[in-house]
Amino acid sequence: MATKSIHPEEKFKADKMGSRLFKFGAAAGLGLLALSIVLGSMKGDHWRRFLHAYVIGWSFVVSIAVGSLFFIIVHHVARAKWGIVLRRLAEFMASTLPWLGVLGLGFLLPVLFGNKQLYFWTEPSLHEQSHPLWHHMHHKLGWLDPWFFGARYVFYFLIFSGMALYFAGKSRAMDSAPDDATAASIADRLRVAAGPSILVFALTTVFFATDLFMTFQPLWYSTIYSVVWFAGGMIATYSTLALLARVLQQFGKLSHSVTVEHYHDIGKYMFGWTFFWIYTAFSQFMLQWYGNMPEETVFYNYRMFSEWKWVSLAVLLGQWAFPYLCLVTRWTKRILPLLMFLAVWQLVFHWVEIYWNIMPNAQWGTDQAGNLMGPLYGDPANHKIGFHFMDLTLWLAMVGLFIAGIGKVMKGNLIPVKDPKLGECLAFENY
Amino acid sequence: MSTTDDDKPNGGNGTDEELHGLLAEFDTPGALIAAARKVKNAGYTEFDCYSPFPVHGIDAAMGIKATKLPWVVFLGGLSGLFLGTLMQWWMNAYDWPWNVAGKPTWSIPANVPISYETTILLSVLTTFFGMWAANKLPQVWHPFFRLDRFARVTDDGFFLGIEAGDKRFELEQTKQLLVAAGASHVEECSVDARPAARSVPRWIWAVMPIMTMLALIPIALVYKARATKSPDPHYHIFSDMDFQPKAKSDQPFAEFADGRANRAQAGGTVARGQLKADDGYYRGLGNGQWLSGLPAQVEVTPALLDRGQERYNIYCAPCHGFDGAGHGIVPERVAMLGGAWEARNLVERSSAVIKMPNGQIFNTISNGNNTMMGYASQIPVEDRWAIVLYVRALQRSQNAVESELPPGSEVR
Amino acid sequence: MATSSNEAADGHGEGGEARKVFRGITDDVAKIALSPTPKWWYPAFAVSNLMLLCLVVALYHLFTTGIGVWGNNNIQGWAWDITNFVFWIGIGHAGTLISAVLYLFRQEWRTSINRSAEAMTIFAVAAAGIFPIIHTGRPWFAWWLIPHPNDMGMWPQFRSPLMWDVFAISTYATTSILFWYMGMVPDIATLRDRAKEKWKQIGYGLLALGWRGSARQWHRYERAYLILAALSTPLVLSVHSVVSFDFATSQNPGWHTTIFPPYFVAGAIFSGFAMVATLLVPLRYLCNLKHIIKESHIEAMCKIMIATGLMVGGAYSIELFVAWYSGNAGEWFTFRNRILGEYSWAYFMMVSCNVLVPQFFWFKKCRTNPWIVVGLCILINVGMWFERFVIIATSLARQGVPGMWGYFSPTRWDLLTMIGSFGLFFTLFLLFVRFLPVIAIAEVKAVTPEAHAGKDHH
Repeated sequence: MATKSIHPEEKFKADKMGSRLFKFGAAAGLGLLALSIVLGSMKGDHWRRFLHAYVIGWSFVVSIAVGSLFFIIVHHVARAKWGIVLRRLAEFMASTLPWLGVLGLGFLLPVLFGNKQLYFWTEPSLHEQSHPLWHHMHHKLGWLDPWFFGARYVFYFLIFSGMALYFAGKSRAMDSAPDDATAASIADRLRVAAGPSILVFALTTVFFATDLFMTFQPLWYSTIYSVVWFAGGMIATYSTLALLARVLQQFGKLSHSVTVEHYHDIGKYMFGWTFFWIYTAFSQFMLQWYGNMPEETVFYNYRMFSEWKWVSLAVLLGQWAFPYLCLVTRWTKRILPLLMFLAVWQLVFHWVEIYWNIMPNAQWGTDQAGNLMGPLYGDPANHKIGFHFMDLTLWLAMVGLFIAGIGKVMKGNLIPVKDPKLGECLAFENY
Repeated sequence: MSTTDDDKPNGGNGTDEELHGLLAEFDTPGALIAAARKVKNAGYTEFDCYSPFPVHGIDAAMGIKATKLPWVVFLGGLSGLFLGTLMQWWMNAYDWPWNVAGKPTWSIPANVPISYETTILLSVLTTFFGMWAANKLPQVWHPFFRLDRFARVTDDGFFLGIEAGDKRFELEQTKQLLVAAGASHVEECSVDARPAARSVPRWIWAVMPIMTMLALIPIALVYKARATKSPDPHYHIFSDMDFQPKAKSDQPFAEFADGRANRAQAGGTVARGQLKADDGYYRGLGNGQWLSGLPAQVEVTPALLDRGQERYNIYCAPCHGFDGAGHGIVPERVAMLGGAWEARNLVERSSAVIKMPNGQIFNTISNGNNTMMGYASQIPVEDRWAIVLYVRALQRSQNAVESELPPGSEVR
Repeated sequence: MATSSNEAADGHGEGGEARKVFRGITDDVAKIALSPTPKWWYPAFAVSNLMLLCLVVALYHLFTTGIGVWGNNNIQGWAWDITNFVFWIGIGHAGTLISAVLYLFRQEWRTSINRSAEAMTIFAVAAAGIFPIIHTGRPWFAWWLIPHPNDMGMWPQFRSPLMWDVFAISTYATTSILFWYMGMVPDIATLRDRAKEKWKQIGYGLLALGWRGSARQWHRYERAYLILAALSTPLVLSVHSVVSFDFATSQNPGWHTTIFPPYFVAGAIFSGFAMVATLLVPLRYLCNLKHIIKESHIEAMCKIMIATGLMVGGAYSIELFVAWYSGNAGEWFTFRNRILGEYSWAYFMMVSCNVLVPQFFWFKKCRTNPWIVVGLCILINVGMWFERFVIIATSLARQGVPGMWGYFSPTRWDLLTMIGSFGLFFTLFLLFVRFLPVIAIAEVKAVTPEAHAGKDHH
C-alpha cells in the first residue's frame, strides 16, 4: 500500500476557524430564532406552527449529527482508510450532540409543562373512555406519558452524547500521543469499542426516531420508519461533510490532504445512501399502499390526495431521482462544483422530506361530536400545506446554531495527525 | 540472437507458413508496462500485452481508450425499464384489464418490482454479451496458442505480441526493440498460409444444414398439433385429477356388494335438507303455487330490510346494479370486452319480476334462472327472504309517483 | 536471447520472486481440479447423492399423489415448502454480496472466497427454485408463469408478489450464473493450459472461450466486472425484498409489516455467510488452501455475522414493540402467540440461535477455532431456518377466526424433500470443487504485493 506523509505546507490546525464558525453560526442562528419567536407569537395558534417547524429544523440537524456518529463508528469498526482525513470533521459534527440535546428542550419543555399543540397524545381527553379514540390509544398512553417521554429523551441523548464524546475525545488524545505505539494502541481501543457501540447506536436510533417523530400521528405506525429517517440523515451527513471540507479549503485549510479522491468517495456514499433511502421509503409506501389498511394508509392518504401531493412529488424527484441520476457516473462525482451543488441540493431536499414527514400532522380535526381527533383527520381535500415564513427561518436558525456548535468544538488539528493509517488515506486513489 | 525457432515445428520454417508476429516475454508486470510504453512510443499500433491478471497501469502505457461499454449497458437498462413497463401495461391494463383488490388497472407501485428486475436483467445481459462481443470472443484459436511458451500467460508469464501486419513491423528491428525493452525471450510466431487451412472444414458445411433441418422437426410437430384436431384422448403424463378414486352417482362401483355407486339412505339418519319440510319458507311454495305473500317465519322489520339491502348489494348488485335496473359492473365488463348482455331489469314497470309472486323470486334467488346461478349455497334462507323484501322495496321506490313521496323530500 | 536465462525449456524455474508467487497460486488451485480425485471426495459425494435420491423419491411421490402428502392443510397452506424456499434463497445471498458488494468496497480479502461463495449462491438458488414450483400442486403448469400468447387470451397477473418472485428469482439466477461464469473464464483458461488429458483440454478449452489474457480484453473485462458488481448490488437487495413482499403485502398479522424488506435482506446475508463459513472452513483443510483462504478471512466473515445477527435481532425487537404500540389487536395477539403459544419452542430456538449464538464471535478464540466456527455457523443456519418457519407457520396458525386456527406437523415427505434439497446443494458443490477452479486465481494474483513488482513508483 502506497503511503504519503502530510504535505509540508498543509494547514491542518483549526486556529481561528472555530471561532469564525461559532460567531457566524451563533449570530445567524440567534437572530433567526428571535425572528421566528416573534413570528410564532404573532401567529396566534398557541405556538403549534412554531413548535412543529422547530422540531423539523431540529430533526434536520440531529439527523446529521447522529449520521456523523455513525460515520465515525463504522470507520473504526471496518478499519476504513479512505475517510481518515474526514473523520475529525465528522467528530466535530457528532460532538454537537450534547448541545443539540439542549436545543431540543425548546420543544420538550413546552410539552412537559402543558403545551398540547405539538404531540396529539398529550391531549387529556384521550384518557376518557368516552373519547372515540380511547379504545385505540389507552394502552399506549402510559408509554406516551410526557414525563416518561422526557425521561427517554434524556436517555437517548445521554447515550448519543456519551458515544460522541468518547470517540471524539479518544481520537483527539491520539493527536498528542508521545509515540506511534501509543497512537496505535488508542486506534486499537477505538476499534474494539466501535463493535458494541454499533449495537447500542442502532437500538438507540431506532427507538429515538420512532419515539420523537413517528408519534406525531399516534395512531399510525410503521416498523421501518426509523430506518427511513436514518437513511435520509446519512445522505445529509455525507453532503455536509463534503461542504464542510470544501468550506475549510476555501479558507486555505486541508488543501493538500482532502483530494478529489476523497470527494469522489463521498459522492459514492451520497449515491449509495440515496439508493438506500428510496429503497426504505418505497418499502414503507408500497407495503402500506398494497395492504390498504385504513390505520396505515392514513399517512399516505393525506400526502397523496391533498395539496401535499406536490410536496410528495418534489421529495420523490428531488431527494431521489435527480441526484441519483446525477451521481451515477464517475466523472460527475469528480467535478467539485457539481458535487457541491448536489450536496446543497440533497440538504435542501432532506429538509423538504422531513417537512413533508412532520408538517402534515400540524393540522388537527374534530369529529361531529366535537371530540378532538388529532392530525390527519377529515377530508384530505381540506388539508392544507399552509406554508409559513417561520418554517424556513426556524430551519435556518437550527442550521446556524448547529454551525455554532461545530465552531465551538473545532479546536486543535483538523485531521487525526497521528492516526496509524493516515498515510494510506493521504495516498488514497480510486481505481 | 538465439531465438528458439528450431525446436518449434510450427515456428515458421515450412514454406506454407507465414509470419504472424513476434511474441516477447517479460519477467514482471512492471517490465511489461515499461515495454508497452516503449512499443507504443515507437509508433506501433497492432500490438497487445498478455498477462495472467489485469495489470494496473497498462491501459495508460498502451494507450487503450476507455471502453464504451457503460453507455451500451445504460441503453440496455433503459430498454429493460421501458419494455418491462410496457409489457405490464399492455398485458394487465390494456389487453386484459384485470381488477385486483379494487386498485386501478394501471397501478404503478405494484408494477415497480418487475420493471426494476427487467431493467437489471437487460443491463446484465448487455454487459455480459456486450463485453464478449467487444472482445471478439469466443475465438478458441489464436496464432500465439501455437507457441508452447504462451501457455504460461494464464500462469506467471507476461507477454507482449506485435503483429506482422503493423506498418512499422520490420522483423529484425522490432526484435531489437523488444530486447531493448527488457524482454527475457523473443520468439517468432507463424501461421499456416494455405487457404484450406484457414477456411471452415467441409464437413461442417455438410452437417450444419442437416442439423438445422432436424432441429425444426419438433417445432413443426408442435405447430401441426396446434392446428389439427384429434379424436384420440390426450396423453396423461400427469393425471391432473382426471382420474379420481371416488364413486360417481349412477355409475358402477365395485367396492359395494351390489356393484352400484348409489346407496340407499341408512336407517336412522337424516340427510341434508331433509328437515326443511316447510315448503313456504324453504321453497316459496304454498299448495303447489308460488307464494304471493310471505311465509309466517318472515317478520317484516326495518332491520330485515336493512339486512336485505346489505345482502343485495353484495350478491345481486354486481349484475343487477344497485338500483336493480341491470347495470352492474359485470354487464359493464361484458360491454368492455365487446359483448352485449345485460342482467334482468328488476324494477322497470314492464319487468316480469314486478308481477312475479314473492315465492318465485325467492326460488330464482335459490336456484337461479337462465344464466343466473343459484345462490342457495351462499345465502342463508332468511337472507334470501330479506333480499326479496329489498327487491320489492327497490321496485316501489323506482316506480314511485310524486304523491307517494314523504313530505320534504322534493328535489329543490 | 542475449538478455535471457532461458535454460529451462518448460518455462518453470525462471523469472523472479514474483513469478514464483504467481506459479504457486496457479499450482495450488489448478491441482485440485486436475490431479486425481482425493479420497475424501468419494464418500462425501456418495452421501450427497444418497440425499439427492431422497429428493427424487419425494418429488416422484409428490407429483403422482399430490400436495396432500405434506403436512400442509387448509389453515397452513404454506409450511415447510415455503420455509425451505426462503431459507435457500437466503443462503443464496452471501455469494453475490461477497462478489459484488465487497468488490465495490474494495475489500481485497474477498478474492479468496468469492468464487466458492458465488458457486454456493447458484446451487442454493437452484435448491430454492424447486420449492415455489412444486408447492403449486401442478408444477407441470409452471410455464404459465411466463408471459406468452395463449389460446385463453390471458396474461399473468403482474401485480401479484408471486409474479414479482418469478421475475426476481429468474433475474437473480441468470445474473449469478453469468457473473460466476464470467469471473471463471480466465481461470478456466488456466486449467485449459495445464490439463494433460485430451477431454479436459477440449472441455476447458470450450468453456474458456479462447481467453488469452490480452490487455485490451482485460480492460473491457474489468469494466464489465465492475458494472456487473454494481448491478448485482441493487439486485441482491431486491431479491430478498421481493421474497419478503410475498408476505408483507398481505394483511395477515405477523406478515404485514414495513420492516420486512431490509430485515429479510439482513437475515439472508447472515445465513449466507454462515453457510459459506460452514463450507469453506473444512474446504481449506481438505484442499490445502490455508494460505489462500486465511484465518483472517474466516474472522472477517464471523464479524459480518455479528453485525447482521444484530440487525436481525433489532428487527425482532422493533417488530415486537410496534406490534404492541400499534394497538392492532390481531398483530399483538399473533406476536403473543408466537412467544407464548404452541410454537414458543420454535420462537426461542430462533432467538437463541440468531441473536445469542453470534455473540460468541466477539471472542477471538471463537473466531479462530475451526470447530467452534463451524459449530456456531451450523447453529445459525438452524436458527435462520426456524426464523422462516416461525414467520410462516405461527402467523398462519392463528388467523382471524378460530375456525382458522391450527397446528402444522410435518410428514416424512416434508422431511425427505428438505433432506433432498440439501443433497442437491452438496452434490453440485462437490462437483464444483472437483472440476472447476475453487479460487479466483487471477484475482488472488492481482491483489498480491507481487502484482506490482517491477513498477516504478508514481
